[in-house]
Amino acid sequence: MPQPVSYRGMSLIVPDNDSEWKEYYAHARQHRLMLRACNACGLMRYPAMHACPWCMDLGWTWKEVSGRGTIYSYETVVHAIQPGFKDATPYAVVLVELDEQRAKPTADEALRIIANLVKPDGLTFEDAKEVAIGRRVRVVFQDVGESMALPQFTLTDEPPQGRVWRLPE
Amino acid sequence: MAMKTLKDKYCIVGVGETEYSRGSGRTTRAMAVEAMRNAILDAGLRASDVDGVLDYQGGDSTFANHVAPDLGIRLNFYMDVMGGGSSTEALIGLAMGAIEAGMCNTVAIYRSMNGYSEFRIGGTGARAAQPVRGMDLAQVPFGMRSAGQTFGFTFMRHMYEYGTTSEQVAHVKVAHSKHASQNPKAIQKERVTVQDVVGSRWIVKPLHLLDCCLETDNATCVIVTSAERARDLKARPVYIMGVAGRVSKPRVDYHWVHGPISRVAGYYAKDIVFGQAGIGPEDVDVTGSYDAFTFTTMLQLEEYGFCKKGEGGAYVSSGIIELGGKRPNNTSGGHLCEGYTHGMSMVIENVRQLRRTVDDTCPGAADGKHSYDYSVGKCRQVRDAEITMNLGWAMPATGSALIMRI
Repeated sequence: MPQPVSYRGMSLIVPDNDSEWKEYYAHARQHRLMLRACNACGLMRYPAMHACPWCMDLGWTWKEVSGRGTIYSYETVVHAIQPGFKDATPYAVVLVELDEQRAKPTADEALRIIANLVKPDGLTFEDAKEVAIGRRVRVVFQDVGESMALPQFTLTDEPPQGRVWRLPE
Repeated sequence: MAMKTLKDKYCIVGVGETEYSRGSGRTTRAMAVEAMRNAILDAGLRASDVDGVLDYQGGDSTFANHVAPDLGIRLNFYMDVMGGGSSTEALIGLAMGAIEAGMCNTVAIYRSMNGYSEFRIGGTGARAAQPVRGMDLAQVPFGMRSAGQTFGFTFMRHMYEYGTTSEQVAHVKVAHSKHASQNPKAIQKERVTVQDVVGSRWIVKPLHLLDCCLETDNATCVIVTSAERARDLKARPVYIMGVAGRVSKPRVDYHWVHGPISRVAGYYAKDIVFGQAGIGPEDVDVTGSYDAFTFTTMLQLEEYGFCKKGEGGAYVSSGIIELGGKRPNNTSGGHLCEGYTHGMSMVIENVRQLRRTVDDTCPGAADGKHSYDYSVGKCRQVRDAEITMNLGWAMPATGSALIMRI
């Protein structure tokens, strides 16, 4: 049993038998965003799971993705409940739709990853006023201990995808 | 494939609860016992008539085989279910199934929680300090843990796709506060305005403080038995026309990969529950939505077809959902104003609406005489309510539903 990793006051625990998260984080620690792809139908899935939710095949291969995507939805936490986030408010949590496998296998499906919107250093939270649906982002990695890194996302200069929208305030 | 229906074969015959408080000073066991006793007495049953007990919880309550014997109940069937908001309706269906299978005759279902004083349901305190593992790793390290934080993407995307506004959904709180002002049990009885809601402080955008429900200490209980048995009992039986339990979107544990994420589980549940009942939304007189937040009410009402998808904001701000409107919602004030009970209280309220025994502030309420005057401090009984519908919610991806009639 590996030691828990401490991050913002939380204990993050990845047991040895949890190959899904252990291998995902091992790749992230090398600053590579890799997802499991089905050996039978080729579709990738996130989070890593043991079977393909589209064809039920148990075979998989880790596949690297570009880490580029678009903010599909977001929220801004003003009143943090986790003690380690109190000093970070207001912070943006984003749902990023990756460029790979958009609208596959059906029009409504995509690879969507939850992360914080951070500055390019991967460590500092971005000003929450910058977040908006439609803005383009790329992955950056926040190292957490020796065995883990959290994939986070930062804004890019690329033109937005579709309509840009944020909550009127 | 058409699903089986047990329409009108089972009834809710008793309802009961404890005080709604913010500091019960009691154990969940003590509260569960009181709520169950109240429901048994309401039904005109004795302890020996109840032989099945179901409850739901999240490691924050007392098990059925402790609560039932405290009242002298000998069990032929019991089960403790892990889960939250979508459990009420699901367990009513399971109770019908247990009776149908011949395992028992009459089932009491309870939920007992110190959601304010012990296990803060909003996720603060002990809940915020729990280690993070498994699927929680996909969201909790990013400061996304509480219910409001977990639902935020869905609400925000609905605003983006359909132009829904904070002001529109604030009307849910306005309506429910109007209803709570006629409810002696309600924790928050003051009527509020749209400006009060959108002017309250932000919790997690797009949610303001007054978009969120009230953490509460409370226990609730309903009793289910066969229509045949119900006919001999004291209380006027309320018939179950249809029930759907924990119907889910694809990829329920990480549902954001299957869109539209503004779609919630009612999209899948509606055909089951309306199919069993043989009615449609236009036949429903009173709704009971799961108002953990103002937004959840709006999303459920549109998904079950009370308005078109995307028009929920207009629907909830039209006056339809208020007492005196065409189809009032959460006439007790619901989780936003009466108090949070993980869904049970809205079923209890609808049972009382159908029986015409709502405990409002009309002078003759104790004798069942209602004024139907919905001004402050008066009535909350809906005139001639024949059919009610409850819309249970655990999260955007999971929901339950229940249709009842008198």
